[in-house]
Amino acid sequence: MKLWRHYVVVILFLLGCTGVAARVVFLNVTDREFLQEQGNARAVRQEVLPAYRGVIYDRHGEALAVSTPVAAIWTDPSFVQLSAEAVQQVAEVLDRDPDALAAQLAASAGREFLYLARRVPWDVAERIRALGLDGVYIRREYRRYYPAGEMAAHVVGMTNIDDLGLEGIELSYDEHLRGRPGRKTVLKNRRGETIEDLAFDEAPRYGEDITLSLDLRLQFVAYRELKAAVAGNHARSGSLVMLDARTGEVLALANEPSYNPNDPEALASGRRDAMRNRAVTDTYEPGSTIKPFTVLAALGTGRWQPDSVIDTAPGFFSVRTKMIQDPSNLGAITLTQALQKSSQVGIAKVALDLPPEAVFDVIGRAGISEFIGTGLPGETAGRVSNQGLGNPIVQATMAYGYGLAVSPLQLAQGYLTLARGGERMPVSILHQDRVTREGRQVFDAQRVRTVVEMMETVTSDAGTAPRARVPGFRVAGKTGTSRKVGPQGYDDERHVALFAGMAPATDPRFVMVVVINEPRGKANGGGAVAAPVFGQVAARALRLLGVEPEVSI
Amino acid sequence: MTVRQALLVVALLLAVVASGVQVALVSHDVRLLHGDLEAAQRAQDEHLAEHSRLLLERSALSAYQNVERVAETELDMRFPDKVEQLAP
Repeated sequence: MKLWRHYVVVILFLLGCTGVAARVVFLNVTDREFLQEQGNARAVRQEVLPAYRGVIYDRHGEALAVSTPVAAIWTDPSFVQLSAEAVQQVAEVLDRDPDALAAQLAASAGREFLYLARRVPWDVAERIRALGLDGVYIRREYRRYYPAGEMAAHVVGMTNIDDLGLEGIELSYDEHLRGRPGRKTVLKNRRGETIEDLAFDEAPRYGEDITLSLDLRLQFVAYRELKAAVAGNHARSGSLVMLDARTGEVLALANEPSYNPNDPEALASGRRDAMRNRAVTDTYEPGSTIKPFTVLAALGTGRWQPDSVIDTAPGFFSVRTKMIQDPSNLGAITLTQALQKSSQVGIAKVALDLPPEAVFDVIGRAGISEFIGTGLPGETAGRVSNQGLGNPIVQATMAYGYGLAVSPLQLAQGYLTLARGGERMPVSILHQDRVTREGRQVFDAQRVRTVVEMMETVTSDAGTAPRARVPGFRVAGKTGTSRKVGPQGYDDERHVALFAGMAPATDPRFVMVVVINEPRGKANGGGAVAAPVFGQVAARALRLLGVEPEVSI
Repeated sequence: MTVRQALLVVALLLAVVASGVQVALVSHDVRLLHGDLEAAQRAQDEHLAEHSRLLLERSALSAYQNVERVAETELDMRFPDKVEQLAP
């Protein structure tokens, strides 16, 4: 018996065992860290849990901006080669040209990531999934829809393709609206399919919703009428601001031209001009819409009463080197009539009788010259200066609204103060829920009421704005027409038509400012161009707000 | 070894076995709960997606243009030009 052979086998076997054991010890002890890392790098992945962006609502809960999931379809050309048949199928579902798709795939053969389509509706993505193709992946992304479209585009704003705010409320409240994506760790197989969740690292935090003070119905009416007026008068642009006279909230804020935030092309095509929120960023000389404040300053001296008589004959007079004139000779008129007929001569004469800073002071206290701070991007502080008020020319022109420039929103703030009987309210674009807000009394309530009563005559047949009237309601307001500044001083051809007012005059429910920039129709005054917009919008707004008619006609 | 010590060893052994079984049970529970969490998150996602779609649908239907069109064409209503008192 050759026992040695038996021993040789046993020894060899033991050596083998020792070798394997040693290897196991080595791998487990010495190389463990390295191997673990390599394994994890191949199989363990961190996945992003997407978070919704908050919804923007109007004051009645109508959606103004909503994110809804869509799909991005992508592939990894460096890892999988899609068969011609697969390309055909994908192209069919995505409604793309199969040859173009094949060419695109061939061109990016070395890349690890290639979008086949983005922002695909979810049902299309489900059909792609149903094809069961290897190497075609679906990733969830969000698309933001703006149901109000161009109507409210300037207030709501828009986001870019990465869901970041670009304009409007989307921009100024981006931090608030934006969600924070969560993370989880998953185990994947060689094909990139998730096999097991290992850990939730961080839960996604959804963005918070925002409720604006806008009333979408009023916004719609405002935008429609404004758009019609801008088109009908061949104007360059127009803005409208409507404030709730009870709370100071913005009920409607519209600009024309506008843009469609649902159309990403709107950004690319460089229509920056249409994207500007003119009602808060642009300034205009308010013209005669300042006159009620001059009258208020006059009443404040105690020397002027609504029926005080001013002699405006012969319809013009000069202050130092400047000629101030009315379109026609109005003769001797009362202070009320000077406001009603918007007499430059009458108001200038009143202003020259007041202390130099009186009108400037009233404008400031009413809030017209101050930064409003609604939080809308690009808000302007206007340009109202008390420099040179010692000069009677400056003093007189400021009284009828020249030499200062304010945004439609600032003018609305001033009229809000009048509508509140001299109480200045903060203006807000966010819905104020159950918060009773109090303003600051800046004028004598009785005197302000007198001015508002005087402003009611503006919408009578003898006034400058009978077309701002609403049947069944009393409307107080003031027209304004200012000439724009051109290269050679004031331009006689380019005007701004304004109307600012409130309704119902006895207990104002809202304040509205209409500005039509550079109308080029037959008429271009505030009474013919801006006042009808006020009348149309106010008629619908009063009914939508459920205000009872106060006078029978 | 006294009887007491033997008993202690037996008791400890039993405890080890019991805790081992517990570990298995708990990790099973974790897996189940993990699955539930996953399902709940998926459901939340789906509900949110549905909510967003419904919001869009509602705003499309309740758009003021639509209301006005339906009122004028189907219900034969009109915007009043003047104030009419129908009842005292």
